[in-house]
Amino acid sequence: MGPYGSTTCSGVSRSASSSSSSSVTKPPADIDGCLADAGYKVRSSDLRHVAQRLERLETVMVNSPGDLSHLASDAVLYNPSDLATWVDSLLTEFNHQPLISLPSDLDFSDGAVINNPAALPRETWTDNSSVIAAAPQQNHNQLTVVTAMEEDSGIRLVHLLVTCAESVQRGDLALAGSLIENMQALLTRVNTSCGIGKVAGYFIDALSRRIFSPQTVGSASGSVHENELLYHYFYEACPYLKFAHFTANQAILEAFDGHDCVHVIDFNLMHGLQWPALIQALALRPGGPPLLRLTGIGPPSPDGRDSLREIGLRLAELARSVNVGFAFRGVAASRLEDVKPWMLQVNPKEAVAVNSIMQLHRLLGSDTNRNSPIEMVLSWIRNLNPKIVAVVEQEADHNKPGFLDRFTEALYYYSNMFDSLEACAMQPEKALAEIYIQREICNVVCCEGAARVERHEPLDKWRTRLEQAGFRPLHLGSNAYKQASMLLTLFSAEGYRVEENQGCLTLGWHNRPLIAASGWQVMSMPEATTNQEAVGIINQNNNPNHI
Amino acid sequence: MCWVFFKLRFWSGNSSKPVSMAGGNEVNVNESRTVVPLNTWVLISNFKLSYNLLRRPDGTFNRHLAEFLDRKVPANANPIDGVVSFDVIIDRETSLLSRIYHPDNADLSPLNIVDLKRPVNKEVLPVIVFFHGGSFVHSSSNSGIYDILCRRLVGICKAVVVSVNYRRAPENRYPCAYDDGWTALKWVKSRPWLKSTKDSKVHIYLAGDSSGGNIVHNVALRAAESGINVLGNILLNPMFGGQERTESEMRLDGKYFVTIQDRDWYWRALLPEGEDRDHPACNPFGPRGQSLEAVKFPKSLVVVAGLDLVQDWQLAYARGLERAGINMKLMYLEQATIGFYLLPNNEHFYTVMDEISKFVCSNY
Repeated sequence: MGPYGSTTCSGVSRSASSSSSSSVTKPPADIDGCLADAGYKVRSSDLRHVAQRLERLETVMVNSPGDLSHLASDAVLYNPSDLATWVDSLLTEFNHQPLISLPSDLDFSDGAVINNPAALPRETWTDNSSVIAAAPQQNHNQLTVVTAMEEDSGIRLVHLLVTCAESVQRGDLALAGSLIENMQALLTRVNTSCGIGKVAGYFIDALSRRIFSPQTVGSASGSVHENELLYHYFYEACPYLKFAHFTANQAILEAFDGHDCVHVIDFNLMHGLQWPALIQALALRPGGPPLLRLTGIGPPSPDGRDSLREIGLRLAELARSVNVGFAFRGVAASRLEDVKPWMLQVNPKEAVAVNSIMQLHRLLGSDTNRNSPIEMVLSWIRNLNPKIVAVVEQEADHNKPGFLDRFTEALYYYSNMFDSLEACAMQPEKALAEIYIQREICNVVCCEGAARVERHEPLDKWRTRLEQAGFRPLHLGSNAYKQASMLLTLFSAEGYRVEENQGCLTLGWHNRPLIAASGWQVMSMPEATTNQEAVGIINQNNNPNHI
Repeated sequence: MCWVFFKLRFWSGNSSKPVSMAGGNEVNVNESRTVVPLNTWVLISNFKLSYNLLRRPDGTFNRHLAEFLDRKVPANANPIDGVVSFDVIIDRETSLLSRIYHPDNADLSPLNIVDLKRPVNKEVLPVIVFFHGGSFVHSSSNSGIYDILCRRLVGICKAVVVSVNYRRAPENRYPCAYDDGWTALKWVKSRPWLKSTKDSKVHIYLAGDSSGGNIVHNVALRAAESGINVLGNILLNPMFGGQERTESEMRLDGKYFVTIQDRDWYWRALLPEGEDRDHPACNPFGPRGQSLEAVKFPKSLVVVAGLDLVQDWQLAYARGLERAGINMKLMYLEQATIGFYLLPNNEHFYTVMDEISKFVCSNY
């Protein structure tokens, strides 16, 4: 560092996920470091070209102000970080002709799409929030500064929690145990109905389980039915799942444009909450709806009921009522890695969309004896050659190997989430949503090995992983962004923020993204097609859930 | 009391002006290209272009698209180049957020949260309350360009920086931004963990660029009137204006990224309906302004870019401070454009940062 401290353009990537590793990620050498610091990715060698385009845009804009307002209100814009592609796409908008794009690492799937959104309401950008969100990265011997908490006891609780986690990591369970006792005593002096007191309570509970009764941890996960119920209340109480569904549906709808036979594969059907909106949107599609197949994957129902089929029937009824041809198949599997592609019966002529709402991270538990589940699943997804893979994941690093790191990350992540939930007035939705979140916390904090399924990883890691598996990003654009923002202002408390992150969208509470949505497509055509597989295996289909 | 830097030119009013560039009033992007590095030109031109998309002729603002386009970065409690940041809510009712940056210095042990209630600083650590620019309408404390600027200020000044996420126009007009600045100042003043162990006080400077500079002035005024001690004001290309069209506005209109038309739009967005640009928020030493003679106003560092079309108003501001007997230091950078301080790739950046560092350290 020079005398000016960090005044050189380090080009250091300062995204949240980059801090999950011990070093910050530097961009490739050719990327202009100064602009990278400002949030833009441009190769130094492209600067001149970008400048020329900007000059041209200036002239065009001065000469056609009408086009300008059209661009601002109707055009869909993508990935503003990639300046080279950005200026090209704007010029395309004005010229209505494709330009020869620069080769770029950051891909751009198609030209800007013309859209006709509803008129924007007059903006009222009032905020009523609460919560401070400390960015939660933790070094071993340092305690992360937390938010400005009101109570001394609150501060002490966090301090004790982190110290306790540290002792657990070191294996000093005696100390950890006594710290638990201290914390439980302190809890009596703190307001546990909200804020840090409430969150601390859950984490103390989780630590306590881990230390004192590890054998009971598995049973905290609850029955299938319970989980579905809690999921439903979490869906109602806050906008994270609605955002996930909405954004994925938007991307799927666009990917299905022009196709008459479409097939959605849902990695976790639950109550099928996501699908009525898509069915209705397809019904209203100009030119008429396609034939829609939905394959819903879910755990087997323990009591002999065929809950997947029941949900399928309800969705079929809805589809019938809006004249959308619809077929449903349920695939019962306890784990996603148990699903084999032949079970999905994909037809080579149909356009496939894979929908994964918070499922891929469950595949990250490593089993050194066999092919990692994530690689296996990504590989067969790739072989399906889907038009889109919609991926939504928690924007957090809860898969770090060190327990203390994971614990502190989770403490701040879930503090934010709980804080956002404070705004929910509905009961019992709020209380049950909290239990839903508490189960996730328990899994992150108490479980290890195969039992720990909540292995959340941040967007940057998923990007790398998916790109290495042969996928390229399909960017989510300004239309999806706008509609997500508008939905939030209509239906949720102030304080939620949608952010654009290099073609992906995140939803967060105040300045902390908590959930990230992205779209993917295969990079190149695979050799094998499912057609060949299906023909050979049809006789092996003994799936009882086929409708 | 007033220092004028040699590099730059003598500022008083109507004497010789820089030779007018050829081309009259027409847009001539090539001129701006010759005075800034290429990457700066790309950055600021991109902003100019995006902002054109966002401002509507009827005075409304495309806030969704603005937030979509703004490049944001999260706070990061892991040190990067020795600086750590985190977000706090200062006022729940108005959702007033601020981002706090401080040096990652093991000596200070500010990271030990148990000490948060006691002054932690062994030395005196100045606290800079920073107001980002954006003509009262654009940007946030988590915008990438301002996050990096604040990080640099921490290193340069060995200070804690508190970047205030004030409410923006047109959704929130005058005086919301000033109210938020005032709330933030009071909050900073009352943080035990920001106090110096030497005198149990928080040592506060106010700093801001563009609209942030304007906010600095107004918050300092309120502080002076309420007896809160602010040690100094730093105004980088502060945003001021007035009803009259000044010579610099006419000469530089459209030449260096900025037009009179867009300046007018932003004032209309900020000021209450029906007000004109002689409103004191816009023109503090104009016909409706007040003299600061009786006011115990902080010493001020005013930085003016010679290619900024509103420089006549900025220079008038500097003169106004001087006339009131306030300790004022003016830096006039002849060849600098708006936003020169956003990227550390030009000599103006280093010159100014040097001055800021001395300004903040000069009390100790």
